Order: sequence, then C-alpha cells, then structure tokens
Amino acid sequence: MSKAAAVQPSSALGRWWLKWRFHINILLLLVPLAFMPKYFADASLFRGDSGLGEREIGTVQVGPWSLQLAELRNEAPRPDGPAGYMKSFNAALCKTCIDEVKATYLRIGKPRSLRAAGVIFFGTPYRMGATLPIPERTKADAELWITLEGWDGSMHQASIPLSEASPATIAWLAQQGGKR
Amino acid sequence: MSKKSRSKLWFLVHSWLTLPIWFFVLIVCVTGTLAVVSQEIVWLATPEARATQPSDDAPLLTYEQVLTAIHKAEPALAVQSISRPDESHFALVASVVYSDGRSPSLYINPYTGAIQGESPSFNFQQFTRALHGWWLVPFTNGYSWGWYLVSFLGLPLLGSLITGLVVYKKFWKGFFKPNLRFNHGARIFWGDFHRLCGVWSIWFIAVISITGLWFLIQAFMFDNQISISTTGNPPVVARADVPIMPDGTPAPQISLDQAVKIAAEKIPGLEASFVSLPSNAYGHIEVGGPGWYPLLFQTADINPYNGVIEGSRMIADRSGLELVTESMRPLHTGDFGGLWVKLIWFFFGLVLSMMVLSGLLIWTKRTALATANALKRSNKPARVPVNTQTVTARSTQPEEANV
Repeated sequence: MSKAAAVQPSSALGRWWLKWRFHINILLLLVPLAFMPKYFADASLFRGDSGLGEREIGTVQVGPWSLQLAELRNEAPRPDGPAGYMKSFNAALCKTCIDEVKATYLRIGKPRSLRAAGVIFFGTPYRMGATLPIPERTKADAELWITLEGWDGSMHQASIPLSEASPATIAWLAQQGGKR
Repeated sequence: MSKKSRSKLWFLVHSWLTLPIWFFVLIVCVTGTLAVVSQEIVWLATPEARATQPSDDAPLLTYEQVLTAIHKAEPALAVQSISRPDESHFALVASVVYSDGRSPSLYINPYTGAIQGESPSFNFQQFTRALHGWWLVPFTNGYSWGWYLVSFLGLPLLGSLITGLVVYKKFWKGFFKPNLRFNHGARIFWGDFHRLCGVWSIWFIAVISITGLWFLIQAFMFDNQISISTTGNPPVVARADVPIMPDGTPAPQISLDQAVKIAAEKIPGLEASFVSLPSNAYGHIEVGGPGWYPLLFQTADINPYNGVIEGSRMIADRSGLELVTESMRPLHTGDFGGLWVKLIWFFFGLVLSMMVLSGLLIWTKRTALATANALKRSNKPARVPVNTQTVTARSTQPEEANV
C-alpha cells in the first residue's frame, strides 16, 4: 500500500470506497440493533417466560402418566456437524407423576427395548429438554415414540405422528427428498 | 527500500488499520470493558444480589443447608445448581425451575439461606457478553458470524500493537519519561496521550489480541470439526447403580455436603464454588471450583446413589496445549483473581477504548489533512512522476515523533 494509491483512486471502485468507507460503521451498528428483538425473544424462550417451547404440541398420555410436549423451535432440524441434523423438544411431566417417573426418552420409530429407548431428557420435571437426531431419510409418516420409565421399574410407551410433533420437520424432510 | 521509507510504510499501515471501522472497534472495546465488571454493575444496581451478613460472626451455610432452606421456603421449586461467586460480597446464585416452567436464577443469602430475589428478565451480564462476544448474531449452525466478526478484530489489534511499536522508536523510554504536553494544541496532546497509553498497555493489548485471535481459531476449529480436547464423553450413572424402588418413589441420594466432602478428598484444597444437581436419574452430582492454578476449574462427578467419583477433570488431566487454550478465556475476561484483577482489566479496557478514540482524533487532525493536502497538490500539476509525489508526501508528512 503506498500513499499515492491511497490518495489517488483511479478506478470508480476506488472513488466509491473513498466516499463510502466510513459508512461501514453504520452498517455494522445496525447488525446488533436488527438482532436485538431475536436476542430478547430467545432469552425469554430459554428462561421459560414464553412457555415450554416455540410451538406447543399438547398433552400426550403415556400409560398412567402424561406429559406436555413442545418444539423448542418451530423450525426445521438444525445441522450439528458430523452428528447430522438435530431437533430439540421440551417436555413437562404431569404434576402427579413427577415423583413416579424416573426417566423420559424420545425416539423416532418404536424402541425394541428400554435400552434403546432413544435420547434421554435432561432437566427438571417442570421443564426438560432432549435433542433428537433426525436422519435425512426419515419417512414422512414416521412416529415419535415417548418412553417413560418408572422408579418401580415399570415402562410405558406412547407415540404421536411426527407430522403432529413437528410439521416443520416434515416440510424439511420433503425438501430433502426433493434434493436426492 | 530505505530504512526511512520502510518505517514510513509501517506508520501508514498503523494509521490506516481498521480506520474505516473505527466506531465498531470502539464499541467492541467499550462493551468488553463493561462486560468485565458486569457482575459488579449488577451488584451495584440490585440490592438482592448482595450478601449481607446478619451479624459479624454468622457462619456461611453449606450447600445442603442452602438447599434445605430453599425447599423450606418454596417446596415445589426444582433446584438445578447453586454457585458461590468467588467474592464474598455477592449473594449465592441458584438456578431453579418453578412448577410453571419458568427458570430464573435466584439470589440466596449465603448466611441465612433466604431467597432475596429473582434475576430480572433482562440479564445485563448476559446481554453485554452477547453484544461484545458475538454482536447479538444468533448461533444457528455452529458459531455465529458475529463471533467471527468480533474475534477477527484480534488481527488488526495485534497489527496495531506491532506496527505501533515499530514506528514508536525507543518506545521503552516512554515508560520512564512520560511526556504529556497539554499546552501545545490538541494534536500534540492526543499524540502524547496515544503513545503514553500505548506503552503502558503493551501487555494488555497483547493479551486481548492474542486471546481474541484464539476465539477466532476456536470457532474455526469447531466449525470444521477439529478437536484438541482430551475430555471424553460425559459419564452417566450405570443402569445397575440406579436402584429400583418397589414403592415407586425416587431413590434416596447422598446430600450435597457429602458430595462436596467426597470431592474435596479427591481434589485437595478444593473450595467448591458450585454444585450441580443431577440433571436426570442417570446424572451425577457435579462439584467444582478452582484448584492451585487459579485460571481453571476442577470438577468431580459423583454418583448420587453410592457416592463414588465416576468422572473428574483435574488440572493434571489437561494436556499442555489445553492448559494454554483453556487459559485464554479467563485471560481475556480478567475473571480469575477476584475484584482487583477485574478492576485492572476494566481500567486497561478503558485505556484501550481511549486509544481507539485518540488514534482517530490524531488521524482526523493529521492524516486526513495531509491526505487532503496531497490530493490538492497532485491535482494541480498535469502529471507528476510517482517519485516526486512520494518525496513531497514525505516532506509534508509530520514525522511520528512530532505528532
């Protein structure tokens, strides 16, 4: 970089740059301003102030117990490096079953045993989350299976259609199918 | 290239580095400075966040006593973790979930266990960190591009330090002969100010820029699945270790104080600064705190049913490379030695912000003028050979020492 080059922009691009370069500051400052509503919406979502998740799925009866299920985000699965695509769900156990349920699991397709019940929920019975891998070849009519394990060793299962659990995932799967 | 023109080139590089984005750089410096003392600002603004001792000899409660006190006041509350900030004037912070699913943090008096208040929905600490750290750009797929944007500034910052030291001849003299001329006009004053602040914050600018660049490398490595981590998968409690309860009620667990005691046996000198409760029936109680090396935490995972330590992360478990890379964040934030270290980081953060500002003032008063002059001159003659131009520019350009 020489002084002469900085002083005498010969090209149109150079002149344009000389005239507008300080306006980059304004563009850069607009970035956090533009993302601020999203930031506060996310802060409220993670603090539980705006409900269990972005989209409530409803109450699912699992044997003698029940739980409320929600999509953390009402959107397609997110890529997570080599682990593939992930979809986060939140759940809350019914008030009466909090002390009876030992663990809650989520899986696409019916689990063959308790050991293959899927991903386990982390958190408190009032608000817990699980992140479920969604293979790209998942069928559109797949079912989401919920397994509850009791402290007494009992196990109860229920399922809901994936299309009911996450329409955004179904839409995404349809798109994946189109690509292949 | 002659020695003189080489140093002039360095000087130009120094003058123009990040100039078009000076205001962005300034705001990143200011928000970083605020983030260093954000916990203290919350302490000042929120009486509930303070730890008031009811009497001079009132002892601190143990974690189990605190947990009991919380459950006595709010039986339905689920507690996820309790942490004890490393300065005694802060209240304990308990991360909890209410039965309606709201999950704020609670400020707990460390002497009485009283719930003093709930963290406000606007979290000043998190907000300043998010603004400074990733410019509020959300993380959707790996690191956010705001993170890259901010951490990239480490490069020009390091460049400014190096070129600044190259052009400031015999800069070490500035330590002992501080020169701050007040009555020679604004340009002289800001020039002196810029150099004086510069020499005294060499170490700080080096620390901030190198750790900032590490954040850039870290994001790049994560997003490209490059890992240097020696941590394995987090341990889970074996199915056989979780008792089956014929009456259908939750299995009894060891107390938090027992867990702390077990951890202290494994980690000599551990002052448990946080305890996390199991995050499900197959989770561990995690106890952690700083060890002999103040920058890093050591943690132990304790099986809540039988009290066995089933995982731990000690200083000695880290590879040499990890010791360095894991030290980067505390070095950047100044959060490793209590209030005084934070105040030093805060002070030099202000100085660095002022460096950006004074640099800009000097630029507007000198480089912009010189540039305008040079432009005027070069427009007059039809076509001046490049050589002549350079000479002209050099002769009218004030030398750095005269600024």
